[in-house]
Amino acid sequence: MSKPMTVVLGVIGSDCHSVGNTILNVFFTEQGFKVVNLGVMVSQEEYIAAAIETGAEAILVSSLYGHGEIDCAGLREKCIEQGLDDIILYVGGNLVVGKTDYSLVEEKFKKMGYNRVFSPEFPLEDMAELLRQDIRKRRQERENKD
Amino acid sequence: MKTKTDSQQLICVDIGSTYTKGALFALKDGKLELLDRQLSPTTVEHLPDGFYSVAKKLVPSQDWKRPDYDHDELPVFFSSSAKGGLKMAVVGLVPDMSLHIGRLAAFSAGAKVYFSYPYKLARKHIREIESADLDILLLCGGTDGGNEFYVQANAEKLAASSFSGTIIYAGNSTVDEEIEEILEDKKLVITENVMPEFGELNIEPVRTAIREIFLEQIVAGRGLKELVNKFDSRPLPTPLAVYNLAKAIGENVPGWDSFGMLDIGGATTDFYSFCESFDPDSSDSMLKGVAEPKLKRTVEGDLGMRVTAVSSFEIGREELVNSETLSEDEALAMHEYTEKVAADTSYLPDLPEEKAFDFHLGGICARHAVTRHAGTMKQAYTANGRVWVQTGKDLRKINKIIGTGGYLASLGRENKALAVPQYEDKSDAISLVPTDYLYYADTQYILPLVGNLAEKYPKQSAKLAIELLNQIKIKD
Ligand code: B12
Repeated sequence: MSKPMTVVLGVIGSDCHSVGNTILNVFFTEQGFKVVNLGVMVSQEEYIAAAIETGAEAILVSSLYGHGEIDCAGLREKCIEQGLDDIILYVGGNLVVGKTDYSLVEEKFKKMGYNRVFSPEFPLEDMAELLRQDIRKRRQERENKD
Repeated sequence: MKTKTDSQQLICVDIGSTYTKGALFALKDGKLELLDRQLSPTTVEHLPDGFYSVAKKLVPSQDWKRPDYDHDELPVFFSSSAKGGLKMAVVGLVPDMSLHIGRLAAFSAGAKVYFSYPYKLARKHIREIESADLDILLLCGGTDGGNEFYVQANAEKLAASSFSGTIIYAGNSTVDEEIEEILEDKKLVITENVMPEFGELNIEPVRTAIREIFLEQIVAGRGLKELVNKFDSRPLPTPLAVYNLAKAIGENVPGWDSFGMLDIGGATTDFYSFCESFDPDSSDSMLKGVAEPKLKRTVEGDLGMRVTAVSSFEIGREELVNSETLSEDEALAMHEYTEKVAADTSYLPDLPEEKAFDFHLGGICARHAVTRHAGTMKQAYTANGRVWVQTGKDLRKINKIIGTGGYLASLGRENKALAVPQYEDKSDAISLVPTDYLYYADTQYILPLVGNLAEKYPKQSAKLAIELLNQIKIKD
């Protein structure tokens, strides 16, 4: 049996929309991931502390309440500072404020260092599959490095 | 008065760094009673000498040197903090997570933590560990199945070091075998992870391990084996006796389900809290990080009345001056005073001015030990109103504080209480310290001795401890 895929999950900033978080927790657990769920109102430091201690391979950030851009900036840099250089960062939720074009939003968050950016409509099964692929790829790259 | 045939008598002895103290108790009709107490100087070269000297004062009729001592007739309980107590270092991973829990485990086993290191050990840390004469090093980090890099890297560094104490490994259990191999040349005890799941606390196995190492290795090194064999009695580190007593009080005495205990010593300040750490039913607050234990002990190595008087004063100086408790001139005089007492650690003040300095020093130790022990709370605004985000332990339910240790005992004998000083705080986080409580002084400084009985007689010892305290009114 291969090592379980550990992911850290939480809603960033002062955001307390908890429904989506609960759904994602149940969903990823059912999909066979080991989920470390930090719940709502999660600071960048909390994600990182959890990712280090649990040896997580990805951090899944949610932002629903419209302040995602401010809350999410700088997480990649903090990860690098703490030795989590190649951790996979996903972000999803209501990242668009108003009627902004989604591709612009995606570009913005990718610039911030997020590997993938999801709209609320993106099918969860497809997303889980992408996550598995990304984690396998990361493991491969790490092995090649050694 | 000492010989009541219808009751069982018990002897407790605490071997401290300067004095060996003893007490004779009677257990009668399920009730404990204090009959007598005595003290003698601690005999550092051979600790049993001081022990016997106290024992003889307590029960002169007993032949203490006889080889076939009858421990059913007069059971002996003892504790020791001689030769620096139980000295530990903790190596963890993230400061607020595994390192924090590792420190809590060490404190709650009665240890003093000399060093705490997060992440990867540097060469200078190894040098500090090597030169400190530590009894135990606790290595932890990573949840089970989680991070395995740091603990192994740190184990490699320790393996290559000259550290000769015992290493307890209580990190990610996935790599237990790897750690065992890396540290095969060291004294090693492997136990359950202090944080098996993220944020989950599991400190009992480490406490048990520390307890056993103390008995099997440290006690022998301190020259106490002789007493263990003769009295068939397992000694405790003194703070563990106090810890056990705090637990017994909180669990058994009505009205004492939320209390604190402050022990200000010459070199360190200990604080114990017994209360729920977070109210899970609260609808407007949420807890972040580790859920702390109901009984928590912390030790501050830079707060104390003598050895650490200078550093204590530095920590509290600004608050004393800003609050106009001290003028600038008085602050200068107090600074000189702290230098004097740090150089002459058995100094006892007699001038009123010097007594006032000691009182302020005690206030600093109390305030900072309690504040560091306590958690904080920050406000966040959401659509459904205000939400409080709590980290650490909420001590606001504490409604009684016991003052113990040499200084607070003598202050208590002058019928003076030491309230934890409060100053205006400008930060946006609220410190969750106790604010409304009754004060009780351990004027006889008897709690460590009563604490020796807390494991065997929890109800009786707790009741006796409370009876022996003196409630003192806090003056505003
Ligand atoms: C219920 C609700 C609330 C409740 C929340 C109760 C609770 N405990 O959760 C309350 C009343 C408290 C609330 C408050 C607010 N809300 Co509101 N709220 C909603 C509402 C109606 C439903 C949210 C919900 O539960 N959806 C169902 C779940 C399952 O979906 P989801 O959260 O989107 O999550 C899914 C996906 O997004 C995705 N996903 C989420 N995260 C991630 C992460 C990754 C990596 C991936 C891959 C996928 C993913 O998967 C999830 C599961 O399927 C939405 C409107 C809407 N219909 O979405 C507004 C909405 C989210 N709220 C909004 C706002 C503005 C607020 C407030 C700021 C209002 C105010 N002015 O005070 C406050 C903010 C409070 C705070 N500090 O967080 C706006 C956000 C606007 C924006 N982002 O541009 C919305 C969109 C309404 C709107 N159209 O204006 N809200």
